Amino acid sequence: MISGNILFRLKGSLEFKCQLDTSNEPHIQKAISQTFEDLCSKVKSESLVFSVCNSPVFIWPNKAGRATPECLSQNSPCKDLQQFIRTDDQEILKSSKKKDKRNSSSVVINLSLMSEVTEPGDLSALTLLTGISKHHFLYTSLPMDCVVSLPTSASLLVVCDALVEALCSQLNEMKKVALQHMKGTAMLIPQPFHFFLPDPVGLVTVIYPAGVPDSQLETQRKELHSQFQLPDNRPYLRRANIFHFPDESYKDGYLRNPHVHLKPPALENSKLYLVQGVYSYHHYMQDRVDDNGWGCAYRSLQTICSWFQQQGYSELPVPTHKEIQQSLVDVGDKQRSFVGSRQWIGSIEVSAVLDQLLGVTSKIMFVSQGSELASKGRELANHFVSEGTPIMIGGGVLAHTILGVAWSETTGEIRYLILDPHYTGAEDLQIITDKGWCGWKGPKFWDQNAYYNLCLPQRPKTI
Amino acid sequence: MPICLQLIHSHSIQVTHQGSSWNNHSSVRMGRGYIVENMVEKYLSNLQAPDSTGASCVTGLFIGQSTSQRDFVVLAVKTPQRNTDGQRSSSISRRAWTSLDQLDVEWVTEHARQVSRMLPGGLSVLGVFLVTLPELSKEAQNALRELIFAVDKHISKGRLLSLTKEDVTEKVTLHICTKTRKAVCRTFDIQDPKSSAKPADWKYQLGVCTSWPALTCSVGLDLLIPMLEMHVLPQDMEKCIKEGLQVWAKQIEVGLCLINGKTLSDETEIVAGQKNAKAVQQTFQVQILTEHPMSTERSTASVKICSGFLILKGMVHCRAYLQNNKPRFKHAAEVIKRDLINTVSSRVEMFLEDNLMEGVDKGSVEQVLPRRVFVSLPGTTPCLCDYMFPDECLSDVSDRLKEMLDCVIPDESIDISQEAITAGHTGLKLKTTPTVDTLPVKPFDHPNKAPDSLKNDYVGVAVAAAIVLLATGISLLYLSI
Repeated sequence: MISGNILFRLKGSLEFKCQLDTSNEPHIQKAISQTFEDLCSKVKSESLVFSVCNSPVFIWPNKAGRATPECLSQNSPCKDLQQFIRTDDQEILKSSKKKDKRNSSSVVINLSLMSEVTEPGDLSALTLLTGISKHHFLYTSLPMDCVVSLPTSASLLVVCDALVEALCSQLNEMKKVALQHMKGTAMLIPQPFHFFLPDPVGLVTVIYPAGVPDSQLETQRKELHSQFQLPDNRPYLRRANIFHFPDESYKDGYLRNPHVHLKPPALENSKLYLVQGVYSYHHYMQDRVDDNGWGCAYRSLQTICSWFQQQGYSELPVPTHKEIQQSLVDVGDKQRSFVGSRQWIGSIEVSAVLDQLLGVTSKIMFVSQGSELASKGRELANHFVSEGTPIMIGGGVLAHTILGVAWSETTGEIRYLILDPHYTGAEDLQIITDKGWCGWKGPKFWDQNAYYNLCLPQRPKTI
Repeated sequence: MPICLQLIHSHSIQVTHQGSSWNNHSSVRMGRGYIVENMVEKYLSNLQAPDSTGASCVTGLFIGQSTSQRDFVVLAVKTPQRNTDGQRSSSISRRAWTSLDQLDVEWVTEHARQVSRMLPGGLSVLGVFLVTLPELSKEAQNALRELIFAVDKHISKGRLLSLTKEDVTEKVTLHICTKTRKAVCRTFDIQDPKSSAKPADWKYQLGVCTSWPALTCSVGLDLLIPMLEMHVLPQDMEKCIKEGLQVWAKQIEVGLCLINGKTLSDETEIVAGQKNAKAVQQTFQVQILTEHPMSTERSTASVKICSGFLILKGMVHCRAYLQNNKPRFKHAAEVIKRDLINTVSSRVEMFLEDNLMEGVDKGSVEQVLPRRVFVSLPGTTPCLCDYMFPDECLSDVSDRLKEMLDCVIPDESIDISQEAITAGHTGLKLKTTPTVDTLPVKPFDHPNKAPDSLKNDYVGVAVAAAIVLLATGISLLYLSI
């Protein structure tokens, strides 16, 4: 994310109507191509309007960037748009503005695609054309979703041109994907996905056909990986890994990455080694399950599963307590009476479930005394660098999730970023960060005499 | 309910209702208030029963605008004579004096339906009137009740948009006795078949609609409506077009309106509060923006096997009026959108009624739909409109206006310049100034009108007049192609 740039996201729907007179393939290809091309010219017409979401601003991109309200002109710098946008004051936004300077540098302006019907390019009389011809009629709406990143000083005219061009090129991409996956007269709807790839690539948009699972799109991803020069052991381009825009909320209600709102500990000569990617915070009492006092390891396991799901390694939803218990019965680790009980599990069980449900292998680390954890800095740091997955730690009578360490190679001093599953309250980010339910802890956090087992899940090497 | 009658002078009627309901425990609602244009009073006072043809009564319609608080009546039109080819013999007409059985409800409702097509947005048929001899006064109430329900039912047939809960459903009936010139005003709730007659206030006023703001826009249509395999032309044409139009109407209904380039909150008044009566009549340019809905359920495009297709393409001109007592943005948006939907569906209906469709075997046929023309009736500000088929000329329109609206309009006053005459690239591309009803207002400088636009400049009124003459010539040319 280039700071100082604004992300313009244009979403909307274009009507796709195509008449197929015969069912021979080259004709079908031609007809569909033509329809996409017609849409491209439609997008360049004067009746196209961009509506800036949550604001009274409308822009006519093909009329030299004319806009309303009148104080905006084609030469106005696009940052002027921000003053018109009404922001919601949600608590999350407030607290994130206070604590997290990182996210606020990427501003997103959302626009909607509209059409002005009172801009008739053709003023001729109303006619009714009746055509008799047997044909197949293909109809759908194309879900357009374009993103361009421009500096705040860029003029509205530049923004408009960039977005219109993005629309056209997206239509072209959609045409290719649609034709590629055509079966007879069945056309799969091409859908755009945005991915944020490591530097120097940045934000890219890829079109995938709807209804085709990731597992069947491996060849496409291989091509793209080589095109963008991405390593072939990380699923950068799986659908689950789409870029989450800063202003989008998650519909399932779980908090994502609460740790980003924390200030890192002040440790001399130390570096941060943190979990990579996105996880959801799972804790006591969620999902109407009262697991207060016995479910902490289950919740930590859920957090880990959510990580694998959101990085695209698994399409399974986060398992419930019962499902976790059932999978342990399935592998022969527990008796059938285990399902529905309130029995605790430990890191061995956690690694068994990860293997059984997600096909994920884990490394187990054992320390005979809690005090030894202070010396595990290097290993933990290495884990977060190479795997970057959350770690489940169980010992004494408690289970926790380690999301990262702050470790100094020189002094050996260490702090642990802990996500505590024992929290019983609501998804209130303020409370969770203020009260340390997600927070940095020192070596004294651990029971110095108890023994601990750590489950370090390993990333599958796949795309 | 005592009726207080005041005869101001021999030609006018003033009716007020004083409800004795003030003291009742059961709360009888205060009736609706109708503010009626003075000219209507004059028109009504000239109606006699039996009339020159011997009919026992005179029926007619009221045209105006209803708001939640009160209603405005701007025009009264009597039902025209039905061409019954001499079915009315003198013996029948004598009998007709004694009862209202001969009341041709069907004809009244048909007249109402045709008149409602001639109304711009914001105006509608508000009610009916009945002028009878005193002997028939008692029957008159029942007859009026029957009429008002029948009229509303007939007009709502084929309505593309259903009524919203904000729509006023009370319609007015007025009975005038020829001897006493006493007028009885009642309203009925046409959504309630058991509705009883409620009293209403009927007040005359000068210049009810002289400064009603007008809203205009020109809308382009380009609808492709597939005809499913099972449908056969020409029988199913109406069904297909209707379904296609319903989808389009839905999009318009939820579309955004911009007035003078701005979208305002619903309750904002569009006319900056003008207290003085001599307000200048304003015209507002409206823009309508639509969004195509996203459908997320499917993963493949839907495929239908079709036997044909219909394309409705071209430009229509829309016009709507609002009463000028604090008109709000949401009403403005509603009336102009309704006019758009109604004008398209009216023309399609008229086209289908005329049955010009001759049965096409193969290939395609393009036919021009009737074109909208506007007329300004003397004394009222809102323009009314009519539709001119390609093979018609101005005198056909003025004949129709004489019959339907009972008024004489000179051919030159008919504005045919708002919509183009011919289709396709041969069509004249016009953009004209608004019609004669508006006073010259300073041009609005919209941000969306690019000065260096490739499109049309404003055409002066002088050229518009020249085009009226050209129109006749070109329509003849079209016929001969």
